[in-house]
Amino acid sequence: MNTIKLYIKSVGMLMKSQLQYPASFLMQTLAQLVMEAEEFLAVILIVDRFDRLNQWMPGDLFFFFGVMSVTFYLTEIFGRGITGNFPSLLRSGQLDTLLLRPRGVLTQVLCSAVDPRRIACVAVGAAALIIGSRMAQVSWTPLKALALAESLVFGCLLLLGLFLIEAVFCIYSVKSVELVNAITYGGRSACQYPIDIYPRPLRVMFTVIAPFALVMHVPVGYLLDKPLFGWPGWTAFVCPLAGAAVFALMYAVFRRAMRHYRSTGS
Amino acid sequence: MKAYLSVFRMRWKMELQYRGAVIGGIVCQMFFGLILVSLYRALYAGKPQALPIEAVASYVWLQQAFFRMQLSSDSELMDKIRTGSIAYDLCRPLDLYGYYYARILAQKLLGSLLRAGPMLLFAFLLPRGVGITAPVSLPALIAALLCLILGLLCTCALENITMAFTMRTLDSRGVQAMLNLLMVTFSGNILPLTLFPDSWQRIITLLPYAQILDAPIRLYTGQYALGEAPRVLLIQGIWTLALMGLGILLWRRHQKRLVVQGG
Repeated sequence: MNTIKLYIKSVGMLMKSQLQYPASFLMQTLAQLVMEAEEFLAVILIVDRFDRLNQWMPGDLFFFFGVMSVTFYLTEIFGRGITGNFPSLLRSGQLDTLLLRPRGVLTQVLCSAVDPRRIACVAVGAAALIIGSRMAQVSWTPLKALALAESLVFGCLLLLGLFLIEAVFCIYSVKSVELVNAITYGGRSACQYPIDIYPRPLRVMFTVIAPFALVMHVPVGYLLDKPLFGWPGWTAFVCPLAGAAVFALMYAVFRRAMRHYRSTGS
Repeated sequence: MKAYLSVFRMRWKMELQYRGAVIGGIVCQMFFGLILVSLYRALYAGKPQALPIEAVASYVWLQQAFFRMQLSSDSELMDKIRTGSIAYDLCRPLDLYGYYYARILAQKLLGSLLRAGPMLLFAFLLPRGVGITAPVSLPALIAALLCLILGLLCTCALENITMAFTMRTLDSRGVQAMLNLLMVTFSGNILPLTLFPDSWQRIITLLPYAQILDAPIRLYTGQYALGEAPRVLLIQGIWTLALMGLGILLWRRHQKRLVVQGG
């Protein structure tokens, strides 16, 4: 409980410090807004030219885009310590000070940074969700709302887990490893569209290795009454747990890796 | 001129230092290319377009291969201004615009060359319709190469303008972001410009962002016939000169108002 309180307090303080330069903050937030709107525009233009993507209608596609966008940028806001700052913490030797304090390293890393500018991206994603839900005429029930909430929460955990892979590589090699971006940012690009449009190797990669399909596409298929792969409804509630599994696994690996950590000495 | 050349050479050597990062970047970029091509193939399966899928695939691969030609931001100048070490640059008997232009040029040229070779080789090995196809003709390839060189000069001029703004504010990330805003979309990086609504294309192909990579790619895939090459090159040339002129003006202006931070 104490840990959660600590995290909330840190987030509050970090947000305050970010707001110290309101003009720059506003401009950057605005830039984020336009950037994410441009991503959304690409989906709209694709729909405009191609009408549909296999069985998926425009509304469905906007919904898929929205789920990915909200999940990814919520993770970036609150998990910035892992998704962005870890390599520089490690390289600059600041990680050493975290080892001295009576709290877990991961907790402190999470408490070290937030990125409130991304709220603009979440807003675009939420707008896409609402537009998509209207266009696809989703009949909302409490169960469907639960499925969406579950998908968002476990989606964040999945992303944190995947970004931890980069952190682990970083502990061993000091340098940040661009290659890992293929499954984090690559996953975002690929899985903002439903997985079943891709050829088998990509499908396997984003279902088994980085299970975006299980965490996001299965529940969204259920919401839209177009079950992915024809799977039964209950899978929409079980599959997202894969996100928690990935996070748990990577957390264990991260703890092992930290035992091998040698300071950069600077 | 010799001074600028040596700035260029120094930067070139620095770029060569990080070979591991280059390989990681290439693999990552290949993966992105595969994802995008798969997406467009799925879309084409549902509703084929007048533009052949081979041209779209080539577009994607060329965009990925020359990814480093896109605008980026050099945090070094920002750090220099924040720490005050920009004073050393001011002492040099060089025009700062040229100094930074040479640096950006080296960075973009080598960054692209290192990545483009393996990327294009990989894309040529892929089956037709997934990978890149050969250029429509040899003259078209030559025109595309010329166009690419002009595009490089144009993108450097554009980036140097964003650098000029760094001198005005200490935290220029906001200004830079605003200036580069439309770049991602209108350079064809997210969605090939050839797939934009036809009515938009007439205007967006005239913007400077389209001069960087879109124009050379269209010459390569034959979307621009060879006869159109002089017109395309002329537009590029005009933009390059205009952006350079504006850049030089802004650098002169902002340099005078630059505050060297102490401590």
